[in-house]
Amino acid sequence: MLLPKFDYHEPATLEEALRLLSEMGGNARIIAGGTDLLVRMKLKVEKPSQLISLRKIPGFDAIIRRENHGVTIGPAVTAAELSKNELILDRFTPIALAAGRLGAPVVRNRATIGGNLVNARPAADLPPACMVLDTKLKLKSATTEREIEVGEFFRGPGETTIEPNELLVSIFVETPAPWTGGAYIKLGARKTLEISMVNVAVLLTLQDQEGIIVDAKIALGAVAPTPVRAFAAEEYLIGRQPSTEVFHEAGAIGVGMCEPITDHRGSMEYRCLMIETLTSRALNQAYQNALAWKP
Amino acid sequence: MGDYRVLNTRAPRIDGPAKATGQAKYADDFKMPGTLYAAILQSPIAHARILHIDTSKAKKLPGVKAVVTSREAGLIKYGVSPARYDETLFAHDKVRYVGDEIAAVAAFDQDTAQEALSLIKVDYEELPAVFDMFEAMKEGAPQIHNEFPGNMNAEVHQEFGDTDAALAACDLVIDHTFLNKRQDAAFIEPHSCLAVYEPSGRLTLYTSTQVPHYVMRTVAMTLQIPVGNVRVVKPYVGGGFGPKCEATPLEMSCGLLSKVTGHPVKMSYSREQVFLHSRARHQFYAEMSLGVMKDGTMVALKNKAVLDGGAYTSFGIATVYYSGSLLGGPYKLKSMKYDGYRVYTNKPACGAQRGHGGVAHRACFEQLIDMTAEKLGMDPIDMRLKNIMMTGDMTVNELDMSSLGMKECIEAIRKGSDWNNKKGKLPKGKGIGMACGFFVSGAGYPIYRSDTYHSTVVIKLSEDGGMANVLTGSAEIGQGSDTTMAMIAAETLGISLDNVRVYSGDTDYSVDLGAYSSRQTLMTGHATKEAAEEIKSKIALYLSQELNVPIASITFGDGIVKFDGGPGNFDKLRTNYIKEHRGWTDPPSGEYLTFREAARLAYLRAGTIVGTGKYKPPKLGGSYKGAAVGTSPAYGCSAQIVEVSVDLDTGQITVDGMTDAHDCGLAINKMSVEGQMQGSLSMGLGECLFEEVKFDSRGRIINPSLGEYKIPTALDMPKVKSIIVESNEPNGPYGAKEVGEGAIMPTIPAILNAIYDATGVRINELPVTSERLFMALKKNAEGAKI
Ligand SMILES: Cc1cc2nc3c(=O)[nH]c(=O)nc-3n(C[C@H](O)[C@H](O)[C@H](O)COP(=O)(O)OP(=O)(O)OC[C@H]3O[C@@H](n4cnc5c(N)ncnc54)[C@H](O)[C@@H]3O)c2cc1C
Repeated sequence: MLLPKFDYHEPATLEEALRLLSEMGGNARIIAGGTDLLVRMKLKVEKPSQLISLRKIPGFDAIIRRENHGVTIGPAVTAAELSKNELILDRFTPIALAAGRLGAPVVRNRATIGGNLVNARPAADLPPACMVLDTKLKLKSATTEREIEVGEFFRGPGETTIEPNELLVSIFVETPAPWTGGAYIKLGARKTLEISMVNVAVLLTLQDQEGIIVDAKIALGAVAPTPVRAFAAEEYLIGRQPSTEVFHEAGAIGVGMCEPITDHRGSMEYRCLMIETLTSRALNQAYQNALAWKP
Repeated sequence: MGDYRVLNTRAPRIDGPAKATGQAKYADDFKMPGTLYAAILQSPIAHARILHIDTSKAKKLPGVKAVVTSREAGLIKYGVSPARYDETLFAHDKVRYVGDEIAAVAAFDQDTAQEALSLIKVDYEELPAVFDMFEAMKEGAPQIHNEFPGNMNAEVHQEFGDTDAALAACDLVIDHTFLNKRQDAAFIEPHSCLAVYEPSGRLTLYTSTQVPHYVMRTVAMTLQIPVGNVRVVKPYVGGGFGPKCEATPLEMSCGLLSKVTGHPVKMSYSREQVFLHSRARHQFYAEMSLGVMKDGTMVALKNKAVLDGGAYTSFGIATVYYSGSLLGGPYKLKSMKYDGYRVYTNKPACGAQRGHGGVAHRACFEQLIDMTAEKLGMDPIDMRLKNIMMTGDMTVNELDMSSLGMKECIEAIRKGSDWNNKKGKLPKGKGIGMACGFFVSGAGYPIYRSDTYHSTVVIKLSEDGGMANVLTGSAEIGQGSDTTMAMIAAETLGISLDNVRVYSGDTDYSVDLGAYSSRQTLMTGHATKEAAEEIKSKIALYLSQELNVPIASITFGDGIVKFDGGPGNFDKLRTNYIKEHRGWTDPPSGEYLTFREAARLAYLRAGTIVGTGKYKPPKLGGSYKGAAVGTSPAYGCSAQIVEVSVDLDTGQITVDGMTDAHDCGLAINKMSVEGQMQGSLSMGLGECLFEEVKFDSRGRIINPSLGEYKIPTALDMPKVKSIIVESNEPNGPYGAKEVGEGAIMPTIPAILNAIYDATGVRINELPVTSERLFMALKKNAEGAKI
């Protein structure tokens, strides 16, 4: 399979990238790691005549700590980097865990968080992880700039609210409150190199080490056209004393939020059952991580 | 066993450096000036009549040099077994599966070739199609080949002893069924070929194949070129596992287009086309009954098979025979009955894949043995030990176990896995299981009826005496056969491995049936040994004449020649050699005459020294219909123990450990043997847990990529303990026999038996996805509640 012919641009500044993007309109695509785009181009699903690389744009591959309140992740930060970064592992655990389950090492070395979010596959690993954290995406065009909650970004399989002339320029994630723990579980056939049959990210905040649950976020992937938050299960958890039974019940409620399909990877029935099991399992893991929280 | 210098070691592969440095050339690396690129038009419809093919637009596209259809190719029928030639290079009246070949084009570049395909207009009349083997057997099902009513491609009925009577007399009879799924062999290198037709009328194919010899014959037949004018060269090959055991439409199209255009023509299949061409493992349905006595003695086995063959025969006749013939052993049985049916469906044709025909039925049988042992309250290992065959035993269907280290294998894994401390003592969710198997060490007969030698080998010494060049048509496809032949030649000649070069995979070098049925170590090995022995006796003869010593006093080894075990008097030869090679870097030295000097003398006496060797098995097997399939000069055997953990809440399976013992006779190269053992386990694990080629309702493959067709990753493979058991095979060169395919036989049932041990649930359908297991667990639990 051959790649179709295209011109390749490597702008050295954000301004230049935005200018190219606005000038070339629909014929251009952004290329980050290329692990989605090049596959689709080889399959001739996409035939852009212009590719604009993010490789040289300063800061796009940086993870920057914002004192006490959060982190800014450049869109071209790779999954490999996210999975190993101490800060992300420690405070933004679901993102690190999800990044560590994306593809296999070779893919993770190229795959970027920006590409994963914009690509917006229902089974993608990073969207649910970002959704349980307080994540904002900054989108820029040559003339506009806006910030959007990650939860409002996804519209359907492969569809987001990004405009063709917009670039995802940064991802800001707020630091969770004290006594927060996170978890991410992915169910696929193999141990690696898997598309999720179901995935679940959770974030659990306790009042203190012995206290009740003061905040809970649950996001599920591969169970609906876009990743979804299990709001009812979250509401159920808030104010309760954590326990296996409570987590189990939350899992059962979580299933109600989903409308998984039957496809060759798994049936609707099995997916529903697994949403329940994995949600309660992830909550248990997040709870353990919350107990181990350190200032 | 003998005291070997080269054999039985862990010698590094002779092709290692070329592969590690990227120097090794594969078919797709070949380039020639003026090469055209070809592409094949494949049917998008599973079953249709072809009303009209219009190639005029494609022919007019600038850059297109030729467009061929059945009109140019003719309608010569071919296939694997002459008993069922049911394919033509291009479909003419009907297409029978999504992917059936209709036309091919050659153009100056790949893009143009692809574009030309899109300009070929085919009018189809779509016909009802059938995709399920059981549906295909029903009255009123769409008929795929007129010549084969009821879509019955092949039927086998064999019985040894009176099975029904024997079963009636048994204390216990247990039944079991089993269903596997269609496989893809998932070799790394897709098929690729460069064809060069010369004005002299000679056609050379550089192609990724396991069987240069059969490709040569088929291409000569279908393209109507005298077979002496067809040469097939196999460069390095990135795996075959069976599906590369027959001539492909890719090879024939390249050949035809090169003949038509006078240009070299090249084509490689995409991964999707590899799936469409298929010729990999069939889907098998097995139905079995095993009858035993109270003390665990196995008495009778009834076996029925239904195979989903796809649209053409390919290897299928052999496959449907193998499902029966490779079942009974390695256990003693009094009677066995087999009924096999291979059915046509509108899907790509299935063929041979590692463990040809035997794997699914072995999985069923070895589960059945465990089920029986459980009913009798016996340990599965004891049950097997009670019934296994030993060296010299003959199966009920007359397969002769001239060596069989089955008992040693079982005992080795029992100890190696600590079975006695684990079986029945593991917590719920953890399980341990075992299984056995055996396999041919080379098919006893060629695919076409013939008295041909199965292997011939030529060894030619270099003029200075320093190098032995082994010329063979055998196929190194990654399994290490070149290294094996080099080692056998070096050992026999008594020289170091560094002084042997292997030239292989070329029909011009020698006759060799190729890499299938785990045959080359035994058969090409025999021929290599014989060729080396001839060289040795020639050298000994000239030495004895020159030095006036008896031939019997001369021995070869470690690169030197001894006379009555001592140095003898060879001054004259050394002086001459050094004189002849004045100024050269490495004059022979030392107390003894070197092989090099001796070989040089032989050259001076007789010209280039050549030794030839040949091998064909003796007449094997019984006289009943189909008795040839399953015969072999020798049989390898193996036993495996698998340990698993099952996540009872999700059904996910983790294979924690595998202990594998294989009797390969003398292990020519221990590292290669272990490589084959571990590769087999990984293939079996994938087939058991993940792999399935899936189709939509119109016969199109849903998952024709290695992203969606899931072979095991490194993380899915556990640590493997590989134990080599070395019986001394009287019919093998230096006592060697197979490991390439037999090692996969026990893997699937061992995993399934371990899953049962962990969960109490018997799974009889592959693959055992987490969903399949979880749903079975759930059903089992609900059943228990009622
Ligand atoms: C073998 C393999 C395995 C995989 N396994 C997984 C897996 O397990 N889980 C998973 O979630 N995904 C998986 N993927 C998909 C893919 O690797 C990820 O989605 C990856 O994160 C995409 O990032 P990228 O940088 O390669 O994106 P690219 O291919 O470069 O881009 C993807 C899309 O996003 C757009 N884009 C990229 N960056 C920006 C930006 N900053 N602003 C605007 N648009 C942008 C591109 O134009 C393109 O449309 C796999 C892919 C392969 C090939």
